Amino acid sequence: MVAPVGERSGTMTQGRKEAGKGREIAFRTGRILAGLFVLAIWISASATGMLPCPAEVLAYLLSMKLEDVAPQVLKTLYNSITGFSLSFLASMVLGLLSHKLSLVKGFSEALSEIFNSTSALVWSLVLVATLGVLSPLPPILVVAAVTLPHVLTATVSALSSADPGLLEAVRSVGAKPSDEFFEVILPSSVPLLASASRVGLGTALRISVVAEAFGSSGGVGYMIIRSYNLADASGVLAWSIVLIALVLGLDQLILKPLERRAKRWLE
Amino acid sequence: MARVMLDVSSVYKSFSEPVLVDISLNLNGGEILGVVGPNGCGKTTLLRIMAGLELPDRGSVRRKGKVGIVFQEDRLLPWKTLWENVALGLKYHGMRGEELAKRVREYSSMVGLTDSDLSLHPRKASGGTRRKAALARALVLEPEILLLDEPFTGLDVKARTSLREALKWIWDEYGLSTVIVSHQLEELLPLADRVYVLTPKPARVAKEIDLRGMDLERRLERVKEALFHILSRSGTE
Repeated sequence: MVAPVGERSGTMTQGRKEAGKGREIAFRTGRILAGLFVLAIWISASATGMLPCPAEVLAYLLSMKLEDVAPQVLKTLYNSITGFSLSFLASMVLGLLSHKLSLVKGFSEALSEIFNSTSALVWSLVLVATLGVLSPLPPILVVAAVTLPHVLTATVSALSSADPGLLEAVRSVGAKPSDEFFEVILPSSVPLLASASRVGLGTALRISVVAEAFGSSGGVGYMIIRSYNLADASGVLAWSIVLIALVLGLDQLILKPLERRAKRWLE
Repeated sequence: MARVMLDVSSVYKSFSEPVLVDISLNLNGGEILGVVGPNGCGKTTLLRIMAGLELPDRGSVRRKGKVGIVFQEDRLLPWKTLWENVALGLKYHGMRGEELAKRVREYSSMVGLTDSDLSLHPRKASGGTRRKAALARALVLEPEILLLDEPFTGLDVKARTSLREALKWIWDEYGLSTVIVSHQLEELLPLADRVYVLTPKPARVAKEIDLRGMDLERRLERVKEALFHILSRSGTE
């Protein structure tokens, strides 16, 4: 006997819900498997004596004092956020001017291409050689230089993503070009800028440690290279885990929720 | 004789292919003018040209006074409340403080928006409320000519009735010269004084019908007859 339509659609909804739950469980299992995979590689490598085993590194991590870790983490955060802010500000200015002036558009594109093809290592060496090993500026400037092309590209496309219908609507009630920018173009670009910031800040954190490794002004990168120079493999891995925790924590606890919130902005 | 508020003369517009050909029409003071025609014939383009948002390739448009336009989509800024959306134009014209608040309240209540409606963001407001906010955004600048693009499209019966009543009240009170582009004849014809019937694309004025003195049934009959005639003629060409 054929079930009534309401009953059939109820069964279908139930079926879809169960399929969705199944996919969610599979997805989470995949994530756990990835963690176990990394751990298995680590354990295999440590069995050959190349790396300290996870237990040793865990013991090292537990022995680290908060007053030793916090200043280095804060230093890395400071370098990353300041460097990223510089590139964000430069991108906003260049992005805005590119919108209006072809000269600036050409300049920005060429600058992006040059910066994009220069590695973080080259920037670090050049800036440390120029500004000195003791200068606090190289990590900040390296982060700014490396993140600039990505942030600039995202900013230019974000600033041109405004709905032409909304621009026409504000023009129809007398908006001037500056009103159009502040009332429509800038708010419309918030979700794209938030996504770009999420990616950019994650990159900034990973890049800042490269630059810190070449200077001696502190930071997680500096601690990694210091442990390496002291042939302290557990220290290298422990500080690397601190960095991973920092990148993941910032992304999952702050940047991802902010991005989600920004995406709802245009609904 | 009534003053001509909007004079469209021999307008031609093309976007890779002709959209409007030799369109001439006029809007008299205090009059409600309907523009009807088959879907996609170029009615919205004509309205945009009337508003000055689009320039004709040939021909001219003369406006005697400020123009307010309400688009088919509400086009409200999603990150602002309805109150802020209504106030936009006033802010751009330098109005601030109590004067602005008073004007926003006055025109919002005129279209039937309450204080609680005005505190909503567009995504939280119903379609009818959003349409009224878009209308208030245009009216708050006190235009002499109002252009409405498909004002009743996408609204349920209750919202359509409510919007129609608000418009009727505004016309009775202020005698605002208005052009309404709509394919919903049942909504448009009770309101319009005259109607221009356009041909399928490229749009030409096929017929001008003066509806004054006719009951709704007669109005519908005349306009539908004109549309049928145009469509059957274009089908045989």
